[in-house]
Amino acid sequence: MLIRRLRYWVEGASRSEALREEMELHLAEKAAGLEADGMTADCARAEARRRFGNVGQKQEESREIWITRILSELGQDIRYGCRTMSANKAFSALAVLSLALGIGANTTIYSFMESILLRSLPVADPESLMVLNWHSRPPLNANKESVHVMHGLQGLAWPGDKGDMVLGIFPYGAFETLREENPSFSTLFGYCNGHNKTLAIRGQAMSAGTEYVTGAYFRGLAVSPAAGRLIDSEDDRPGKAPVAVISFVTSQNRFGGAPNAIGQSIVVDNVSFTVIGVTPPEFFGVDPAAAPDLYLPLHTNLLVDGARAAAMYPDGNFYWIEMMGRLRPGVSMAQAQAALAPRFHQWVAATATTDGERAKLPALILNPGAAGLGSLRRRYSKPLYVLLTMVGLILAIACANIANLLLARAAARRREMAVRLSLGAGRFRVVRQLITESVMLASLGGALGVLVALWGVRSLPFLFSNGQQNVTLHAELNWNVLGVTALLSVICGLLFGLAPAFQATRPDVMPALKNGCGGGPRRRAQHVLVVAQIAISFLILVAAGLFVRTLNNLHSVQLGYTRENILLFSLNARQAGHRDPEIATFYADLRKRLESIPGVGSATLSQSSIINAARAGQAIRGEMKIGAVTIEDARSLAAGPRFLTTMQIPILAGREIDERDQPGSRPVAVISEELAHTYFGHENPLGRQITLPDEKRDLEIVGVSGNLRYGGLKNEEGSAMTVFVAVSQVSQDRVTYALRTAGDPLRYVQSVHEIVREADSRIPVTNVVTQAAEIDRTISQEVTFAKLCTGFAVLALLMACVGLYGTMSYSVARQVGEIGIRMALGAQRGAVVWMVLRRVLILAAAGLAISVPAALIASRLVKSLLFETQPNDPGTLALAAVVLVSAAIIAGYAPASRASRIDPLAALRHE
Amino acid sequence: MGRKAHKNDSLPGSLDMLILRTLSRRNLHGYGIVQFIQQSSGDELLIEEGSLYPALQRLELNGWIDGVWGVTSNNRRARIYKVTAAGRKQLEVEARKYAKLTLAIARVMGAE
Repeated sequence: MLIRRLRYWVEGASRSEALREEMELHLAEKAAGLEADGMTADCARAEARRRFGNVGQKQEESREIWITRILSELGQDIRYGCRTMSANKAFSALAVLSLALGIGANTTIYSFMESILLRSLPVADPESLMVLNWHSRPPLNANKESVHVMHGLQGLAWPGDKGDMVLGIFPYGAFETLREENPSFSTLFGYCNGHNKTLAIRGQAMSAGTEYVTGAYFRGLAVSPAAGRLIDSEDDRPGKAPVAVISFVTSQNRFGGAPNAIGQSIVVDNVSFTVIGVTPPEFFGVDPAAAPDLYLPLHTNLLVDGARAAAMYPDGNFYWIEMMGRLRPGVSMAQAQAALAPRFHQWVAATATTDGERAKLPALILNPGAAGLGSLRRRYSKPLYVLLTMVGLILAIACANIANLLLARAAARRREMAVRLSLGAGRFRVVRQLITESVMLASLGGALGVLVALWGVRSLPFLFSNGQQNVTLHAELNWNVLGVTALLSVICGLLFGLAPAFQATRPDVMPALKNGCGGGPRRRAQHVLVVAQIAISFLILVAAGLFVRTLNNLHSVQLGYTRENILLFSLNARQAGHRDPEIATFYADLRKRLESIPGVGSATLSQSSIINAARAGQAIRGEMKIGAVTIEDARSLAAGPRFLTTMQIPILAGREIDERDQPGSRPVAVISEELAHTYFGHENPLGRQITLPDEKRDLEIVGVSGNLRYGGLKNEEGSAMTVFVAVSQVSQDRVTYALRTAGDPLRYVQSVHEIVREADSRIPVTNVVTQAAEIDRTISQEVTFAKLCTGFAVLALLMACVGLYGTMSYSVARQVGEIGIRMALGAQRGAVVWMVLRRVLILAAAGLAISVPAALIASRLVKSLLFETQPNDPGTLALAAVVLVSAAIIAGYAPASRASRIDPLAALRHE
Repeated sequence: MGRKAHKNDSLPGSLDMLILRTLSRRNLHGYGIVQFIQQSSGDELLIEEGSLYPALQRLELNGWIDGVWGVTSNNRRARIYKVTAAGRKQLEVEARKYAKLTLAIARVMGAE
């Protein structure tokens, strides 16, 4: 049948010709017959034609039997659909646009979720990979003393259930114990973040993200090299010739191709390595948040990091190595955990020395490692879920709008449908017409949605990156998701197009023909949709309000130092081979040379920028005492000469740290006003001592500075108590320089590079950024959230207003007669306006009644994303309600005033 | 128009049956079919002539009849239709249906 249809279609032209010929023959024979009966030739021909009927129409009908009919009718439907769409331009455009934004936003956010939260590592059989973690009660006891079997750590802890802390780092001894005779894992491998190293290739230095890996790392992950070979167990032994594996990107950028890199010599922090292999292009290590450029055998940290690393191996109380294992076939995660946990417990119990430590021993837990480490998941899952919810709501509003549009349109076209039906149009034909229009709207929206999604996937990483380097959000457009969202919108179009279509094509056409009204249930459906839209818009408005408030609060945080006209950059001379005491001189000389750049008012250095100070760690570890009193909650920052001047922190007494403070001279400190006030009261702190029992030395207080916000803007625990020490008098590794410039700080970047290269070409300059940008990027997530949510809120409000406007216009149009009678009976125009607006307000109130409790509950879920803002902030709720009601009144006023301008005479005549 | 009263629209679908029945007797072209039905019904059934052609297309598409170019009795080129095996089966089906229907109608009419 189908084949025959296709053949007919292909032969369409010749078949049409044959049909025409057949019909002509018929007419000729008929005419001949009539002529034989005695008619004149002309009369006979006319009579034959008359009896035959409409030749063209019959030809058309015959052709319709063929497949071309479906196509030609589809063409008709589409053309007609385009006409109706362009007749309702504004409405259609809004429907399509809202659908496009809904689909695009959903696809974008979900693509990110998929790539961040769900995607597997690009290795063989990722499901059998397990990450080893442990959890225990936090170290601080009631007296704020740290009691834990973990005496030191290098890595991250994150909160777990019931106030526990969770870590993924272990002492090396635990790794060795678990690795031996392991019945659950076919391989167990370790790795340790080497952070940024100075990588010199052919004399050119760059900063390279480094991962130290044990010998089984690549074998355990089942990765094959793009070139050469990967690190194996033989390479990972103390004393072996140092070898390195580089990432595919690095091999491309620095050697012009993976094969060229093999056998080449590279220098990592002044230690020579030989490149033995290149990782495949898609491989990014085990943490989707970081893509290392360089993989080194674990034990080479003895060469690169020196004594510090050597001390880590034998120390059973120092936690630093991360572990992952591959399950043997047939072993489940629970079985593996049951087998390993007691062994770890036994091992770790032996490292505890006091009862306090034994009371909270770490307990081993396994987590699925298929998606790699969870750092990105932990950081982004909450904001992404919030965004996903929001875009989901937007899509719901968009669908409601489409539904509303189609319902209203179906109602308006009831008469048209009835006319078509009574003129003999097939019911299916009319329904198909309506469906075609719905699907057209939906597909247009979908097509635009693809564009929005493409744009969104490209721009969102930028918004989200938080400005941190090495954050690789591997996001690409997820076509599956796009398909699902697009399908959803088409289904929505079909569903809401179909219902009114069937209703409108009910065989009972008489009432519609008579008055063109009716459709009680449809009106109720419209009202439900509008109320839902108002409720959802309110939720989004509240969210936007909360995030904008959060951003405002962050912007109004008192920093205590300047954010404008400061250029920051970091370098690490120790990695390039500078050693004590020469390194202090090198840093001091460099500062002087930087200060001599024309346009640079002053230059200083510190162990890190103020914003990053909390992350970089304290300049002074251990206790600080004034006499017998321990200073609590104070932060220390190692600063160079003219730090306070450059940062424009006021000097309230004494002096700041300057060039007199040399490595050999008397150790000094500058304290913040808050610290001075708390510990010295009204006494003069100048000349007093701060004792450092751990380092067995004293610092003399030489100055008092203004208070400043230490660490990030959101650092709520950060007190204003700060101790500045001289950077030259503490151990210096990486330092951050700050230049106070005239005009745009970024104009001086070139000079900075030149001066550092002159000083030592082996040292790469990293993290070049203005202070303002550095501060802003700590709140970039909040900025993004506030912007996106405000955008979403405007969109939601607009769509809800369109829905409301459409509904009210429709109901006014239906009530023309009633309003006409009221006015004829003496109703004032104001009363008519009020009649319509009252209905708007009832709808708005119904929406609010639903969503205020919902907002109160939902906003609690985003508490952790807020800053100095309560989730049920009454001001925000009130503002959102006012905005919503005003918007509703504006949307409802146009139909209301139209109602009030109805001419009673015309209305009644129409009736 | 009195004649229209006899137009074949009282029994929907019967046109197909009539065409199939006609062609099962002899192969004919379009005009011939009209003539035959009209004559064999004693001029009681008038087919709306134009409607014949859509019906022929439908039947051919269903594979019940087959049209080939041939020559009419007065030597003009025409498409001559013949019924296929499937068409004969279809005719049986329709004839049975028709018989059932007329019987039912006759029962109703005689049920006073």
